[in-house]
Amino acid sequence: MKLWLGLFSLLWITACSTTVERVESDSTIDLSGAWNDSDSRLVAEEMIQDALSRPWIAEFGGQTGARPAVIVGTVRNLSHEHINVKTFVADMERALVNSGRVDFVASREERGEIRDERIDQDLNASESTRNAAGEELGADFMLQGQINTILDVDGKQQVRYYQVDLTLISMADNRKVWLGQKKIKKRVKNAKIRF
Amino acid sequence: MNPLRSGAIVGLCITMLLLQGCSSWQVNQLAITLPTNGPEKTLAQLQRIDSPKRDQAQYLLNGGILKFYTGDLQGALQDLEQAKEIMSALDAVSITENLSALTTNETLRSYTGSPSDRILVHLMLSLSYLFSGDLDGARVEMLQANVTMKQLDDGSSVSGQLASVRFLAGVIYEIQGELDDAYISYRRALSIVQERQEPVPDGLLMSLLEVAQRSGREQEYQDLKDRYKVSSVKDTADKGHWVVFYFDGVVSAKSETRTSVFDAEVGTMVSIVLPRYGRSLYRPSPLLLRMGTTEKSTEVIEPMEARVREDLDRDQGKRVAAATVRAVAKYQLVREASSKDDFGGFLANIFTVVTEQADVRSWNMLPASVQVARISGPLNSSLNLSPAQFALPSLQQLGKERLGVVLLNSLNARVYQYPVPQGDTHEEP
Repeated sequence: MKLWLGLFSLLWITACSTTVERVESDSTIDLSGAWNDSDSRLVAEEMIQDALSRPWIAEFGGQTGARPAVIVGTVRNLSHEHINVKTFVADMERALVNSGRVDFVASREERGEIRDERIDQDLNASESTRNAAGEELGADFMLQGQINTILDVDGKQQVRYYQVDLTLISMADNRKVWLGQKKIKKRVKNAKIRF
Repeated sequence: MNPLRSGAIVGLCITMLLLQGCSSWQVNQLAITLPTNGPEKTLAQLQRIDSPKRDQAQYLLNGGILKFYTGDLQGALQDLEQAKEIMSALDAVSITENLSALTTNETLRSYTGSPSDRILVHLMLSLSYLFSGDLDGARVEMLQANVTMKQLDDGSSVSGQLASVRFLAGVIYEIQGELDDAYISYRRALSIVQERQEPVPDGLLMSLLEVAQRSGREQEYQDLKDRYKVSSVKDTADKGHWVVFYFDGVVSAKSETRTSVFDAEVGTMVSIVLPRYGRSLYRPSPLLLRMGTTEKSTEVIEPMEARVREDLDRDQGKRVAAATVRAVAKYQLVREASSKDDFGGFLANIFTVVTEQADVRSWNMLPASVQVARISGPLNSSLNLSPAQFALPSLQQLGKERLGVVLLNSLNARVYQYPVPQGDTHEEP
């Protein structure tokens, strides 16, 4: 009897304790079926690969002899979930800048802080280290996009379809020079019974 | 077993159950005194109550709405998002909770929310996102509300369908320029109101007419105008619109009632305890608006007093059946215990009587009614609200939007608005 009680207590304690397991940051772990880090990474990878393989970079380089400067505009979340679009946009920015073929300029929000700092430098920094106003790099292209979802729910089952569309628009003439698209489809089955 | 020891065990069980029932009673008392104590004091009192884990969703729903009333929109978002997640996770049937409910009482189930709670959580979240300036976040909640309402739609009634949520979805789509979606949402809101045979609020009708006209639905526009005998709406570039939401009063809290039913299996009357709502004494009081020479007042789009009763009635049959089965089981337990030992029978009797509690939990800090209005006028005119005696700046001063949203409540003087002015929300001076 005591043995059973001991085993039961052990089982109870184990069931209640918190466990932490470290996993690779690129491993796929789906818990709820909602948008997660793996989806964000998949979108970023697909978009980067596509953006770098298209002719817009070479065409721009051929015309101007310079690297294109890109600014991130609005990426709207029109999906059924609260999705942080900044994660895959940041992944894209990093990969494109590191490729050495594209420059990214600061977004509207980021520019405000930088300009404040420049004004501060104007007053407080030594002349040799001061950065002058009016020397900013103007963007050649703007990246815009949106995430849409279609949800099909039946009882405890649902199919979640995500479509991410990104567009690169030329600032000079509003031409769409690149259209990136990634689709993700998931089938989620929720439990009918819990303990 | 030693009679003293068995008495102590029964006493301990009863005390624990009473303490748990006590927190529900305390929350109900807080809801009753909310109009007089106000949201700030009530929130502080709620945070002092030690709610059991299974009441977590109810606690967070109440905490969330109180935080919304006090202007803590980030806190409201956190609590309500968590409540939404808990309610969703508890959707599966629990074996242990069903067993406990069948043998002891219904309060041993986790609070999973009524159909209205599950939809209204999206309404409150959407409003919190909107007044925080996150329009896309507000839109996400409306899409989720649509999925929830589709799941709750049994095809035969409007139970689990809320006109106020459809209306807000329409407003959010309209702000974003998605006129087709806005029209569909307003139209659905109208169908729900009509199906419930409730008066159609002018704010809903005006929104529907505006969007029908702007999206080129000439026939629908004409039909609506003829049917409801309203004058034409003309959209011009210098015209702005305010949609006003008004949360009036506090919805009733549940109480319990004891009733006797005859059970053929044991051939006797058994006593069961059920939750109930008393007669509502609530009378809606509207908010008056003035924009230039136009005057309007808010009208009820969601009589929450009716909705909560509708939710309770929806499952009352199942509740009576479960309570009867439990009462019969308890009756047989007492009879068996008495046949073996008088003292045991006495203890079993006390246990069964005291543990029989009705589940009186609810999201009881919701408004008693959600009222709406839509007022239009030149972009440069301000909106005056009374009795709040508050004037909103003109839409022109707030930005490029031609449609603004404002929310007031009867519990305090806080005014929320979209577009969000500099310095977030503000109070009446």
